Amino acid sequence: MSTVTLDKLTKVYPNGFQAITDLSLTLSEGEFLVLVGPSGCGKSTALRMIAGLEDISSGDLYVGERRLNDVPPKDRDIAMVFQSYALYPQMTVAENIGFPLKLRKVAKKDRSQQVQQAAQILELTEQLESKPSMLSGGQRQRVAMGRAIVRKPALFLMDEPLSNLDAKLRVQMRADIAAIQSDLGVTTFYVTHDQVEAMTMGERVAVIKDGVLQQVAPPEELYAHPDNVFVAAFIGSPSMNLYEARLSAADDGGHLLQLGDHRLAVSPSLMNNRPALARYVDQPLVVGIRPEDLEDAAVAPDHPADQRISAKIEVREALGAETLMHFSIAAPTVDSGDPDALDELGEEDTGRCTARFSAATRARVGDQIEINVDTDHLHFFDPATHEAIRS
Amino acid sequence: MRKTTPLSRFGLHATLVALVVWSVLPFVWTFQTSIKFTRDVAAKKPVLWGYETTANAYKAFWLDADDINMWSVLVYILAVAAICFVLGQIGRRVRHGWPWFLGVAGVIFAALWRFPKIWEANDEYDFLINSIVVTVLTMLISLSIGLLAGYGLARYTGISGAVILIIALGFRALPRTAFVLPYFFGAKEIDDWLTRTGVGSWNFPLIDFPGIDTLQILDTRLAIVLALVAVNQPFTIWMFRSFFMEVPKEIEEAAMMDGATRLQAFRKVIIPMMWPAIIATGLFTMLLAYNEYLFVRVLAPTEWTLPVAIVSLTGGESSRTITEAAAASVSITLPIVVVIILFQKHLVKGLGAGAVKG
Ligand SMILES: Nc1ncnc2c1ncn2[C@@H]1O[C@H](COP(=O)(O)OP(=O)(O)OP(=O)(O)O)[C@@H](O)[C@H]1O
Ligand SMILES: [Mg+2]
Repeated sequence: MSTVTLDKLTKVYPNGFQAITDLSLTLSEGEFLVLVGPSGCGKSTALRMIAGLEDISSGDLYVGERRLNDVPPKDRDIAMVFQSYALYPQMTVAENIGFPLKLRKVAKKDRSQQVQQAAQILELTEQLESKPSMLSGGQRQRVAMGRAIVRKPALFLMDEPLSNLDAKLRVQMRADIAAIQSDLGVTTFYVTHDQVEAMTMGERVAVIKDGVLQQVAPPEELYAHPDNVFVAAFIGSPSMNLYEARLSAADDGGHLLQLGDHRLAVSPSLMNNRPALARYVDQPLVVGIRPEDLEDAAVAPDHPADQRISAKIEVREALGAETLMHFSIAAPTVDSGDPDALDELGEEDTGRCTARFSAATRARVGDQIEINVDTDHLHFFDPATHEAIRS
Repeated sequence: MRKTTPLSRFGLHATLVALVVWSVLPFVWTFQTSIKFTRDVAAKKPVLWGYETTANAYKAFWLDADDINMWSVLVYILAVAAICFVLGQIGRRVRHGWPWFLGVAGVIFAALWRFPKIWEANDEYDFLINSIVVTVLTMLISLSIGLLAGYGLARYTGISGAVILIIALGFRALPRTAFVLPYFFGAKEIDDWLTRTGVGSWNFPLIDFPGIDTLQILDTRLAIVLALVAVNQPFTIWMFRSFFMEVPKEIEEAAMMDGATRLQAFRKVIIPMMWPAIIATGLFTMLLAYNEYLFVRVLAPTEWTLPVAIVSLTGGESSRTITEAAAASVSITLPIVVVIILFQKHLVKGLGAGAVKG
């Protein structure tokens, strides 16, 4: 248990590729921090630098007061769970879990007791004498966990430990890992490309893109106040709809948001809450609308009529509790820079929009309907820097 | 999966049977020769069946040597059994520490080394000892170097690694005959230098073995072992490299995170995964060293190993001794057959794909 400090960590691979740039983060004692980003953005690289499996090109790494840059992996007191689990095939489960203790010359009796204890926590008692090849994916994953928790390390590193499991097991293991971590209270640095995993597990979530840290915040904060277009689009599923738009002053002293052919009245409270927006009047800007901030007007008829857009439903996905609607609005979409977001629906169009309607909606594919926009919850970004326009 | 028709299945089996017959026939022929009388062997028209059998040739090879000594036979059997046992222990992965392993190896080695002193009169046993020493040493040295080099070359992806591998492959591709004379002259140069400078007649307490007065390379087991190791090395390196490539890098990284040094990770985690590979490569190395004729003939004019000894002592194919030569060939093949049968399972595993996967 210790605080962990990453101070401007940078990784340049021997081939000249800069995988991580100035990564600075502080994990407080016992914290569960999730690093999330699209694949290839340098998550594993960051983790491996902390583990000592890759050299740190520049910057400093501290666990507690101890600078670890030049300490070999075995002396860092850090445990790691690999995506592939990396179990030792010729050893039994008990031997796998006990291996770190054996290397530390823990007496045989203590060792088997500690292994037993770890196995109990992970519900592996029955499998202790099996070889890894005889285990299911979930059990292997837990053996890998066992190897990490059996000694009480200063820090857990986990590199996408759940990505090889099927969806149902993954949901269960998410909860299990979070529970074990909070029981043990070991500072944990968890890497995933799955933003749902990040949001459900992390006390704080760090979003990274192309080796550059974008934002670190608790999940709710990240969702409600993304710092930039990338975070806005990456966090949340379905992801935020992002368009180029224009804000203009209306005759009545209010403001209008021009979204392609559509005009939305912007409430004065919004302009008051975000004074910086005034500078963007008659300037291009990027507007973001969360799918849940759109609603079928037929379901909620009380919504002001000037905060509606009209569109034709193209795809309808009934999920039971809610219904996802896909349609187009005639406004140019904005590229968030997330390489994984390549068209969930496989269509390459301008103005693609996803809405999350309540299940009460009657709208069907092909219907031309009115859609309420909750303008108080709109997100605005600078079109050049993609930074959020907030204060 | 394509459906097999009875016809195609018959064709497949017929081909396999033909191949088996083709490969086994020479051995069967040798075996037949070894149990025939000379007159049948020398007959103009081959006598394939219905001949009278005899164990005379075996008797001659085993018992009618210069000095009949039943003890020698017993010792031979015991030595082979001991070696099979040790290999069997390794093969079954019984976990004894390195000290145990080295101890057993040392005992066997020392026992073998002293053999010729005890049964001096009997030449065949000398050759047997030579064969065993050469085979065991060649295996130990080439496997050790092969494991380390293969591991290094599997993990190191730089350009010089590729260059080393290609060079190794090139040497492997060259005919072995091409190396014999260079080795011979190289060894001779060293020996000349040892004589000229007098270094060869120094007394080193540790290598002052009984019966060896002067230090030399030519005509020693050392010369044979060095040459065979050199010839065999490309093979072991390539074999082990391909096996190591199959071991995910994460496994040794996990070991290092668990608190192992790189060497510990190699020894405690990687090597135990490699047993099938070690056994398969070891068997091939053993066959090479045990069967080698040319190098022994040239580099060791008197310190023969069994294949050379048989040819030289029986006069090869002269019809008078051909049955004896055949009996000798069959006899020296038997230990190898035993070893192969013992390790057959590992051999198949080692040669099959995915041998080291969990
Ligand atoms: N040894 C290396 N040499 C050069 N470039 C590398 C090396 N390892 C990784 N990279 C590059 O660094 C970038 C980041 O790799 P990294 O494995 O950290 O990504 P990641 O975020 O973990 O991706 P994933 O989600 O696919 O695991 C990638 O573009 C990759 O191609
Ligand atoms: Mg990765």
